[in-house]
Amino acid sequence: MELTINGQTHQVDIEPDTPLLWVLRDELGMTGTKYGCGLAQCGACTVLVHGQATRSCVTPVETVAGAKIMTIEAIETDPVGQKVVEAWVAQQVPQCGYCQSGQVMAATALLKQSARPTDEEIAGAMVNLCRCGTYNAIAAAVREAAQA
Amino acid sequence: MKKLAAFVVLAVLAVGAGYWFATRIPASPFDSVGSATAPLPVERGEYAARLADCVACHSTEGGKAFTGGLAMGTPLGTIFSTNITPDRETGIGGYTLAQFDNAVRRGVAPDGRRLYPAMPHPSYAKMSDDDVRALYDYFLHHVPAVRQENRPTTIAWPLNMRWPLAFWNLAFADAGSYRPAPAHDEIWNRGAYLVQGPGHCGSCHTPRGLALQEVALDERDPRFLSGALLDGWYAPSLRNDHNTGLGRWSEEDVATFLKDGRNQHGVVFGSMMEAFNNSTQFMTDGDLAAIARYLKSLPGDAARDGAPWSYQAAAAPAPAGPMASGARIYAARCGFCHGSDGRGRNEWISPLAGASSVLALENASVINITLNGSGRVVAAGVPDAYRMPALRDQLSDGEIADVLTFIRGSWGNRAASVTAEEVRTLRELTNAASSDPIVLQMR
Ligand code: FES
Ligand code: FES
Repeated sequence: MELTINGQTHQVDIEPDTPLLWVLRDELGMTGTKYGCGLAQCGACTVLVHGQATRSCVTPVETVAGAKIMTIEAIETDPVGQKVVEAWVAQQVPQCGYCQSGQVMAATALLKQSARPTDEEIAGAMVNLCRCGTYNAIAAAVREAAQA
Repeated sequence: MKKLAAFVVLAVLAVGAGYWFATRIPASPFDSVGSATAPLPVERGEYAARLADCVACHSTEGGKAFTGGLAMGTPLGTIFSTNITPDRETGIGGYTLAQFDNAVRRGVAPDGRRLYPAMPHPSYAKMSDDDVRALYDYFLHHVPAVRQENRPTTIAWPLNMRWPLAFWNLAFADAGSYRPAPAHDEIWNRGAYLVQGPGHCGSCHTPRGLALQEVALDERDPRFLSGALLDGWYAPSLRNDHNTGLGRWSEEDVATFLKDGRNQHGVVFGSMMEAFNNSTQFMTDGDLAAIARYLKSLPGDAARDGAPWSYQAAAAPAPAGPMASGARIYAARCGFCHGSDGRGRNEWISPLAGASSVLALENASVINITLNGSGRVVAAGVPDAYRMPALRDQLSDGEIADVLTFIRGSWGNRAASVTAEEVRTLRELTNAASSDPIVLQMR
């Protein structure tokens, strides 16, 4: 099976229903994408597939063969992603950091779809969980990235 | 005086005849066969037991296989399935082949007691002599004997008398094993045999009448396998209904669904997940192809089914109302797996666009699975990688109603909206801790 991740192609030989998350972390060693719940509940595993926020723990790898996948490792190569990361640093969003790669991916996906999101849109899209409660800082950073 | 005497004599005779009829031991083709037959290879009977899915009812979760004890509700009280291991005192170790046959195909215990039709003997009646012999051999010679007393029913006297069931049988069970229909080929007939007989698909998928009988036992009646509500789930139509049945499935799709528990149209869940885990996945490819051939020969009913579904990209929902709120909840809770386009992910995660359980008039299944999630699908010993989580603690009745209204009304789906009241009712009924949980019903 051929996967295109961050612009690079990878050949993987794996069961078609393996979650993309396991392929990223275990097969390809890209551990920036985190495992939280494995049940599509938390968003720690969020990656972009064709620019859309996708929870990789519930994405059978077969269904994204040939798709354009982007992970946190390459987020700064994306112009929107770069703005998001800068805003994240400026707002000092992360606490423990565990959920943050997923948050950054979700924010990037949002801004790709809607460059100037309303507060409501931000609340509707930024639904990933954060045990440290960084929600206000996340919302502020998204607003800042949208202005940048 | 003479008249009275004659009346009394007649009445006594009638009661006597009725009593004789209602407690008599019916004839079995095995009446003259002794019990000392040589054991068959274990695979033969084990396969028949898989076809008939005996374990589904004659076991409890965590209990030993075939020891019975599963509670089933009836309008009169609770009954319990029985121990069918070969223990001589508490099981069926003392049964002759003829007695076993009478229990399985005619619903009559060795002492003449009539079994409750929770035992699907109206279906099993169609089993072949060979399959019954194989089952007997399996239970007598290959299943370990376990001593476990049967639990008495909670039905009070006089309703617990069994003889009236003989008249139920007279009205609703047609006797005799399956007779091949000459108009059809061998594969179709094998499929008909499996579906109507051991597979007893109609126990869940055929509607029930007032006396709890299945309204039809074979394809001559268009209500056969046309879908039925049971235990908080809706078992959809297995006929060629375009929207709510198997109309858009190929024969291969049907066989794959029964073999792997999934295909591009959906994944087994609810009671079908159990039937898959315990029974259908063990069937041979030939038998599954036969079942598919037979089911695909059952015509749908366009009047019941409505305008044929076809996929339509979701329109932007109105800014307010249940569709809008449903769309928001869908994006946050459902879309990550089922896709923002509602199309699921190949055979791994069910599509919601066009799925028969989503389009069904009865909304019990969509509410139930949203509240309680799906159980574990185990195919060839491997548990599934993706499972629907229970959302009962995360979404309110109103939110579930909205998101289901959105799902039932998007991507070309045109099923009626769901009310918070309906969700509330099923939430109560499927909460084991509530005062009124659903008990598996006799079927
Ligand atoms: S790990 Fe994927 S959503 Fe939690
Ligand atoms: S920063 Fe710790 S979980 Fe979000």
